[in-house]
Amino acid sequence: MTSAVAAQPAAGTVAVRAEEVTKIYGTGDTAVRALNNVTVEFAAAHYTAIMGPSGSGKSTLLHCLAGLDRVTAGRVVIGDIDITASSEKELTIVRRDKIGFVFQSYNLIPTLNAIENITLPLSLAGRKPDKSWLDRVISTVGLADRLTHRPSELSGGQQQRVAVARALASRPQVIFADEPTGNLDSKASAEILGFMRQAVDELRQTIVMVTHDPVAAGYSDRAVFLADGQIVAEMQNPTADTVIERQKDLGE
Amino acid sequence: MARFTIKGLLAHKLRFALTALAVMLGVAFMSGTMVLTDTISRTFDNLFADVNRGTDAYVRSRQSLSSGFGGPARRQRGRVPASLVPEIQSVDGAEAAQGNLGFYAQLVDKKGDAIGSPGQGAPTFGFNWVPNPKLEPYRIQPGGHPPQEPDDVVIDAASAKDAGFKVGDQVDILTQAPPHRYQIVGIAKFGDADSAAGSTAALFTTPTAQVITGAGDQFNSISVVAKGGVSQETLKTRITKKLNDKTYQVLTGAEITKENQTDIQNALSFFNIAMVIFALIALFVGSFIIFNTFSIVVAQRVREMALLRAIGASGRQVMGSVLTEAVLVGLFASLVGLGAGIVLSNALKALINAFGFDIPAGGTVVSAQTVIVALLVGSGVTILSAIVPARKASRVPPVAAMRDVATEGRPHSWRRVLIGFGITGLGVLSLFAGLFGSAGIQFVGLGALIVFIGVFVLGPVIARPLSDAIGWPAARLRGITGTLARDNAMRNPRRTSATAAALMIGVALVGFITIFAASTKRSIDVQVDRAFKADYVISTGGFGGGGFGGFSPMLADDVAKLPQVGASSPLRFNEAEFDGSQKFFTALQPQSANDLFDLKVEDGRVADLGQPATLAVSRAVADDHNWRIGSRVPVGFPNGTTDLTVRMIYGSGTKEGLSDYAISIATYNEHYTNQLDQQEYVKLAPGVSPAEGRRALDRVLKAYPNAELQDRTEFKAAQAAQINQLLGLIYALLFLAVVIALIGIANTLALSIYERTRELGLLRAVGMSRRQLRSTVRWESVIIALLGTFLGLAIGLFFGWAVVEALKDEGITEFAPPGGQLLLVVIIGGIAGVIAAIGPARRAAKLDVLRAVTHE
Repeated sequence: MTSAVAAQPAAGTVAVRAEEVTKIYGTGDTAVRALNNVTVEFAAAHYTAIMGPSGSGKSTLLHCLAGLDRVTAGRVVIGDIDITASSEKELTIVRRDKIGFVFQSYNLIPTLNAIENITLPLSLAGRKPDKSWLDRVISTVGLADRLTHRPSELSGGQQQRVAVARALASRPQVIFADEPTGNLDSKASAEILGFMRQAVDELRQTIVMVTHDPVAAGYSDRAVFLADGQIVAEMQNPTADTVIERQKDLGE
Repeated sequence: MARFTIKGLLAHKLRFALTALAVMLGVAFMSGTMVLTDTISRTFDNLFADVNRGTDAYVRSRQSLSSGFGGPARRQRGRVPASLVPEIQSVDGAEAAQGNLGFYAQLVDKKGDAIGSPGQGAPTFGFNWVPNPKLEPYRIQPGGHPPQEPDDVVIDAASAKDAGFKVGDQVDILTQAPPHRYQIVGIAKFGDADSAAGSTAALFTTPTAQVITGAGDQFNSISVVAKGGVSQETLKTRITKKLNDKTYQVLTGAEITKENQTDIQNALSFFNIAMVIFALIALFVGSFIIFNTFSIVVAQRVREMALLRAIGASGRQVMGSVLTEAVLVGLFASLVGLGAGIVLSNALKALINAFGFDIPAGGTVVSAQTVIVALLVGSGVTILSAIVPARKASRVPPVAAMRDVATEGRPHSWRRVLIGFGITGLGVLSLFAGLFGSAGIQFVGLGALIVFIGVFVLGPVIARPLSDAIGWPAARLRGITGTLARDNAMRNPRRTSATAAALMIGVALVGFITIFAASTKRSIDVQVDRAFKADYVISTGGFGGGGFGGFSPMLADDVAKLPQVGASSPLRFNEAEFDGSQKFFTALQPQSANDLFDLKVEDGRVADLGQPATLAVSRAVADDHNWRIGSRVPVGFPNGTTDLTVRMIYGSGTKEGLSDYAISIATYNEHYTNQLDQQEYVKLAPGVSPAEGRRALDRVLKAYPNAELQDRTEFKAAQAAQINQLLGLIYALLFLAVVIALIGIANTLALSIYERTRELGLLRAVGMSRRQLRSTVRWESVIIALLGTFLGLAIGLFFGWAVVEALKDEGITEFAPPGGQLLLVVIIGGIAGVIAAIGPARRAAKLDVLRAVTHE
């Protein structure tokens, strides 16, 4: 197809890798081991769901993978960059150029309109957006007629679509999504999850998503289950039903 | 509820500190001013108490002319005959009576320079030495003796130290008499001090003093010591009875001391009022910051307050909680401010001295009044500024606890526009009533105040479009960081405008004073070019007009004798009562006036002023009073009222840079004891080159180190320099208002950043670098600062124009806003924004990204 797609990593290469990652909050008696020696890989052009009950360490894992939080021990490698060895300055650039984010809420800058929000990481890098890629992203998430709206003029679902578009716009190595549908009704959730699926299938993007929703996990290629800071199970091509089954097995 | 408030305060120490700081600085400045003026007053009170310590009665001429202008004790009066002294001495109960003479005497150091700062510093006195130690406050130090020979002089210890004079040295002294060299026979201390409040003193024998002053057998006043057991009142009554002459006035020692103290108090009151005004400006600016801080804090705590309401707190209790916070902040800030003010008083004194206004001050005086006023004003301003936000807090509905916090300001309402324009219009009316009507100077200040408030009310309406325009270049040049900065500045126009308003006030005043000063300088330039035909002006430098000091008429004689000089005239400025109202006039040499000034004689002849009891008036004044050639005008002089006849009417009055009233030097000499020339105007003879003329004049001036020779250009520059000196002082005093405004910007930014924690976290998460984040905050700050600067400049321009327009008749004829300097103000305004952003930007950049994005 276009060069944009050709530039994506081939399936099978590893986009993100965590090696024996341990994260401890606090010290002494109050120390909490949020991640305990976690090793996991995320393949490029794959859609992975990280699942687990609250307190299992799934959000902590995501934060460590994305360079938002520092690991206590172990390594996180994005592409060929060891972000655990990066300085704050380098980390910022990694986040800007290699990572896309979709948070649960407060995803957008209220003073910027939709298209400005979408191109924000590019603007911060001082780069011109790739016009054809941007057009594809925008049409994928169906926002063409909302581009000059401010976030306050958009519905929650539309806001999340803008957030997904922003995450895609810079064509990052990996997109991290933290409960991206947590604040949405089921219809809007389905839309967003559908777009993310499309991003992986058609745009060859890599997505790592934290969720506690089996339905959301059902859109992914692979589900990773966390409990007490450790990976306890994995599942290829999950569906909502198989995920619920597994959760029952895990005693959730 | 109280405990809740205090806990809230402690939880937000920075906010508390910044808000308090704004009040603190204002209070510190005000209390510093009060302490300083109290200290100065006390110093002078003590000084006069010392001077008059031994005086039990005081006799002088009743007739006097008080002065509305100028330095301390500018009360001019006639003299009393020396023959009164033995007469008073013979009064029952009088132990001793001594005649006093006080006059201008400028000591010259060994290098030939005048000691002290002539024309600006403390006065340089000459006195006759009074042999009675009870009446002579100066004490001669061991190794010296009182003046005995005509050429003997005793000088004060401070001057002696300053110039390295010892007993036996010779010293040149400039007085009203020709310059003369005297023999130092003693060094004297004023009580225990080296000098009397910084003034210099030269003490001569009485006959010498009488020769110098041309007083002949007269004295300025007579001091009397009572015999033991005779009260001051008794002595006064007896002397009054004995003299039995209404021409003389007899006072007790206590009365003359009180009068001296009151005179100096009045002379200083102008200074006091000016300083207090600057302090009030600072507090006024501070009140905007307090208002803004409390408004933002209330907005940010809406949920918390709604929760309080939901669990049963009344609206009144919520309001009370905000006001309690204001009381605590106000009291704390006032107390600290008061303490700082006491320290600051010394710095203020140093500042004023640094600008060449030498003021004496002894030990620091902290009066109860200072403490009470500082605490009341500081707390009062804080509480008043917090009332509106507190009322808003009381109206928070409990249901707001369940809603998201809405911090976006409401769009502007037409009501606001109407009210804003109404208030501004009212302010302009008041301003005009004060400037052009007869409402008085208070209305000018009041009008300015109301204009500020009016523009403040309009602020939220104009802030958004103005920020948009001001931020446009930033958005264009700085890309996304500039765009975000501009959008942030625009997102809450009410907050932005309230923050900018504080700076607006400072900039408006700076702009106004800059424009006014430039207009004054331009007016002087134009007038010098138009009205002065002279080639040179000789003056004493400093604020010569009407001030203390000048030079001997001998200088004019010497200059006139030079073959290189074509025409010359001394000039004296003073006040007299013309037809009942006190006015400034000029005394000059009628023969040469036409060659030196473009008088535009319309009626009569200048030379006719040479006749006794004559005067000249400007066309404007003549028309006002319906005076013609030959009209007789009653003129009140220090030695009584005399009728003068109008002999000339001329076109160049005050408005044209000259004076509305003029008399001859000879007429002047008949009515004033101080006969120093303040300026000397010189026109060179035809064919004499400037270099040649200057050489000749310089030779004459060698004997007068206090005289300065200036050609027109130098004269204009010297006038400008004097204005600049005053301007510098005013800038320094306004600087505080600007600093407080900067604190306000920093405070608003800090609060806004706190509010936007999530947003900033998101920006950082998606790849904004710390540098970019700092840049965004910085540009937002610059946009707010420039908004304040532009609004301020607009108001300043208007004030400047109005004041210049109002002073047209006083000779400020040119409205000349200086483009370069105003541009500089804009640049400084922008830099100020950068400075204000340093702290908040750093705080924003330090933000923990993870905590920001997971912040609840």
